[in-house]
Amino acid sequence: MITVRNLSYAFKIGKKEKENIVPVLHHVDLQVAEGEIVAIVGRSGSGKSTLLNLISGFIKSQTGDITIDGQQVSKLSESKWAEFRLEHLGFIFQSFQLIPSMTAFENVELPLVLKGVSEKERKDQTMKMLKKVGLEKYQSHYPGELSGGQQQRVSIARALILNPPLILADEPTGSLDSENEKELLNFIKELNEKDGITFLIITHDHEVASIAHRKVEIRDGYLREGSKLHEVQR
Amino acid sequence: MKFKDKHRFVRSNMKRNKTRVWMTILASTMGCAFLIMLASVGFAIHKTAVDDVMSYRLMNEIEIQNDNGPLVEEDVKKLQDIKNVKAVSRKKYVPASEMTLGEYTVYAEVNSVNMPSERKAGLQLEKGRMPKSKNEIIIGHHFAQELRKEMPENFTEGMSDEEAQKEMKKFAYDGDLLNQTLTYHMKVDNPDIKTETQIKTVQVKVVGIKEKPKKEWMTDSSVMITDDLHSEIMPLLTEIDPELKNSDDSYTSVRVYTSSAEDVKEVSEKIKDKGYLTYSVVSELKELNIYFTLFKAGLIFIGAIAVLIASIGIFNTMTMAVTERSQDIGIMKAIGATPKTIKRIFLLESGYIGLWGVGLGTILAYLISYGINFALPIIVEQFMNEKPPEDFILSYIPWSLTVIAVTICMSVTLLSGWRPAAKATTVDVLKALRRDV
Repeated sequence: MITVRNLSYAFKIGKKEKENIVPVLHHVDLQVAEGEIVAIVGRSGSGKSTLLNLISGFIKSQTGDITIDGQQVSKLSESKWAEFRLEHLGFIFQSFQLIPSMTAFENVELPLVLKGVSEKERKDQTMKMLKKVGLEKYQSHYPGELSGGQQQRVSIARALILNPPLILADEPTGSLDSENEKELLNFIKELNEKDGITFLIITHDHEVASIAHRKVEIRDGYLREGSKLHEVQR
Repeated sequence: MKFKDKHRFVRSNMKRNKTRVWMTILASTMGCAFLIMLASVGFAIHKTAVDDVMSYRLMNEIEIQNDNGPLVEEDVKKLQDIKNVKAVSRKKYVPASEMTLGEYTVYAEVNSVNMPSERKAGLQLEKGRMPKSKNEIIIGHHFAQELRKEMPENFTEGMSDEEAQKEMKKFAYDGDLLNQTLTYHMKVDNPDIKTETQIKTVQVKVVGIKEKPKKEWMTDSSVMITDDLHSEIMPLLTEIDPELKNSDDSYTSVRVYTSSAEDVKEVSEKIKDKGYLTYSVVSELKELNIYFTLFKAGLIFIGAIAVLIASIGIFNTMTMAVTERSQDIGIMKAIGATPKTIKRIFLLESGYIGLWGVGLGTILAYLISYGINFALPIIVEQFMNEKPPEDFILSYIPWSLTVIAVTICMSVTLLSGWRPAAKATTVDVLKALRRDV
């Protein structure tokens, strides 16, 4: 599903022409198979979020290749990346990233709107998805009127609405209490087992990492897949 | 993303900042209304000037003169042969002006005309018909009020013009002159000829009365006689005044009428080629139009400055909208909205603001224009004790002005919304998701 080859990345910090180069990732190689749950763990500042942002296309890669679902994405233009994300990727963020002025229904419906799906079809699919995450009664609530767990479920519904084969999750339980965390992890496992969705999860939480088929550690920007030092089979 | 969804999206965003959006719309409305109103003054003055020129002459009329003396029948024949000439109207002045009906007398301007040519040239009668026989005549609309009984000497002395007119009307003929027979006195205006020798008369019958002149202040008490009658009376007049002998063949006025206004230029050129001098409304209008087009362009330019000022408001509103919605933009981009979609949403929003401004501004301008044109004569009469010039309007908004104003306002609006919309596409997804923008 995902193939990352020889990916390196360095941030440029400071004023133009006087900027400092701060290397974050060094020659990263990573393979994620279809239907797999892979957890990328590491300390704060180790480069795991940068890796996810590169795979998401939120930052442009400098060297190396990224292939997702058979398509080489590292050289895509901004527009093509946006189209690719809409078709192939779902996102779960730590802080949910819901649009505050939109209701739960409208937030979940948004990817369908962007794709240009008809209003009737949108309504059916959105209601079905809200039902799936147990929020059909909260469809007209704004994010501010929902609990953290409910907001994360809206966020998951939005990530799933276009049936993407891959979901990228950045610290998905970071803002949840233990009960909601457990519920979310069960839901991820269920989605993976029933629908075969691939998950790439960035976390520093061992509870979260425990549901992954593979756990990949990243330390000081180095990751070598297959190495027993960095890869722990579940 | 479908247009309907973009529209829904924009509407909900505009509703969130109603006051700010309406204030921007108000500024655009005022800018657009100012542009239209200012230019409408130029359009009104232009229209008044053109209408004024055209009220004296017809668009397809060409006045002909000759450098080498008066025009004669041979010249008329040459003019008639030119392609697209509909009629050649020609008049010969008759130096006898006195006509009577019983105790009533009038001193009128008498011209002999070629009746078929006059009809072709567009002569309109209010009553009656065109002359069919020699002694039939056509009179002007105001002929009857000039046909008066003899008034006492110095009758109007000490009276104001208005009073004099009123009193003189009491002596004027108040019946219908159609089909009345008048006595035409063969008297010439020459102090060397004794009145006693001028005793010959001709009976003429009024068969037609011309239409009222277009302007209120114009009077027409002239008389049109046939060429045949002219041929009959000129020998009589020459007997009285031999000096008139050589003037009976020349025309005092020759006017060519073309088939349509579009032919005037071409026909004028052909007439000039034959050695005549020409004058037409078309040539006068051409110069008038050049002057007024420059004048109107200047006014539109000044008005456009107001629109530009209003567009700063739109730019400001849209820049604030982009800044406020940076997080939303970032989320949308993260999910899969393309820069094109984001740009179009913001352009649509500025377009809607402009459209509302242009729509309301145009309606407001029309209302003010009607109001001014309605109220101006009342105000002038109230405060200046005078009537404004006939047909005068201070503001005129033709459809072309509306189109120009709408085009300018919408272009300026879209241009002012362009940069904020472009800025929206450059919102950094990561910064937006981290709430760093």
